[in-house]
Amino acid sequence: MMRKSITVAKTDFKNALDLRFVKLGLIMSIAFGPVMIILMFGSLMAIVPPAEFGIVVAVLGPIVPSILGIFSIIPTTMIAANALVGEREMNTLEPLLCTPLTDRELLWGKTMAGAIPSLIILVSSTIVSVVGVAVLTIVMGFPMLIILDLPGVFLLSTAVPIMIFAIIAVMIIVSGRVTRVYEAYQMTTAVIIVFIIPMILPMIGLETGNIEELVWFSNFITLLISAVLFIVGWAVALRLFNRDKLVSMV
Amino acid sequence: MDEITTTGLTKNFGDLVAVDHMDLNIPSGTIFGLLGPNGAGKSTTTRLLSTLLRPTEGTATVSEFDIIKEPVRVREVTGVLPEESNHTLYPSLTAYENLEYFARLYDVPEEEIPSRIEELLTFMVLWDRKDDRAGELSTGNRQRLALCRAILHRPKVLLLDEPTSALDPIAAKRVRELILELSKKYKQTFLINSHNLPEVQRVCDRIAIIDEGKILLQGKTQELRSKLLAKQQFRIRIVGDVDKAGSIAKSMNFVEDIKLEVDSVLVTVEDPTENNSSLMQNLLSQGIKIVEFAEEEATLEDLYLEVVKGGVQ
Repeated sequence: MMRKSITVAKTDFKNALDLRFVKLGLIMSIAFGPVMIILMFGSLMAIVPPAEFGIVVAVLGPIVPSILGIFSIIPTTMIAANALVGEREMNTLEPLLCTPLTDRELLWGKTMAGAIPSLIILVSSTIVSVVGVAVLTIVMGFPMLIILDLPGVFLLSTAVPIMIFAIIAVMIIVSGRVTRVYEAYQMTTAVIIVFIIPMILPMIGLETGNIEELVWFSNFITLLISAVLFIVGWAVALRLFNRDKLVSMV
Repeated sequence: MDEITTTGLTKNFGDLVAVDHMDLNIPSGTIFGLLGPNGAGKSTTTRLLSTLLRPTEGTATVSEFDIIKEPVRVREVTGVLPEESNHTLYPSLTAYENLEYFARLYDVPEEEIPSRIEELLTFMVLWDRKDDRAGELSTGNRQRLALCRAILHRPKVLLLDEPTSALDPIAAKRVRELILELSKKYKQTFLINSHNLPEVQRVCDRIAIIDEGKILLQGKTQELRSKLLAKQQFRIRIVGDVDKAGSIAKSMNFVEDIKLEVDSVLVTVEDPTENNSSLMQNLLSQGIKIVEFAEEEATLEDLYLEVVKGGVQ
């Protein structure tokens, strides 16, 4: 089963890369996260006195995993939109559905096409950001700073991957209802807004001084929303995925 | 053995009945032509048989596999050339990559993929274009590539929807030759949807005429044509006044029907053996110059028009 799904995934990824907006989106996703984070901490180190730098890190630290999460999820929305709705827009869906692929093989292929690049970007941009900031702090004469703490690792290793797969489920649901890639892309991009929660919510604790508790709380809330979206999304997607309906819309 | 059988096959789209209780039997190794006007239900029938659509009622078997219960098996033994197939290729993949992708999805043994692709692309005169992106190929070349994709896994049954619609005459002839060759070599069964009646006449052993989702007529192509041959229409090609020749012919009491064309008069007489010589003598005696007097062969087009108009049952 996996062999055919991998074949589908590779071809979907190759086809997606042919589109300029996907190519630029991927470059943006790979580069923007680490660049933003490194520049943010670099500029702060240049203007904030070393004595106050700890406070800045406490405030800005929780933003890091959110930024990395958002930029990692964007490729999934673009590739999955092209792999599911784009096939119909290009008229390639019908011959694909005529092959002996089972629904499961087809969905696995589409899921891998959307999820694997995002997961790779998530891991690589996290490593580049952590290493980049650590090196920068040493170069600028600060004690070495590891920008990712335990709550951050928790968010990146749970909520982000779950949301990546949840978005693919949402895309499968949407693919039976829209005919254009950009419509599907716009609809699913809205889901990313969930990752603004761990960016904003801890700020409330600035005055009360309980930022750490609020970071954990907001990360759990984000995980919970992602998990609900994942479970409900896939339950609905698997029930609604219907060749007849997809072909009838062609 | 029947390779394709449909029993009361019906497909509704809301209130629209696209295929209406269709009973069809296509023997193994047959090249079967499905004829009908636009919206008659030809493409829906193909989509039902290729398991893309689920019937509202009835069922069908392809190579003895039920389209509802064993759709994956049906798809394994079926090759499909969809409607407007020249638009169904991945434009960013090369001709070779398009075929390679589908070869893997159809479980063609990995070691056979390069040789099969080369064989097919060579046959379709596309080997030199193998590294070109499908989106950069001409319409005709894309259509031929789509046909390669349909036959790549050597399916038992080929469902071809307007296989030569976008091809120039030479490429269309090549496709017809390919269909006949595949049928002869691999005993494949073909279901061809077409508007191109001369093509169907040249290629198909059996035909069915379909309209509003219903089969109006089906049978062997030769037998159906002979129904019309019994009417014995004759073409009298003349030099000069066609209207005058028509009036003379019309005045003779044994002439049953008459049609005028640019340079010919088409007549149907009661008894050709007795009446033709009288008709010819009469025309010549009144100064009509006859270039040709020949039996007009009934075409599938005549049959088609008769059936769709409701003349033949």
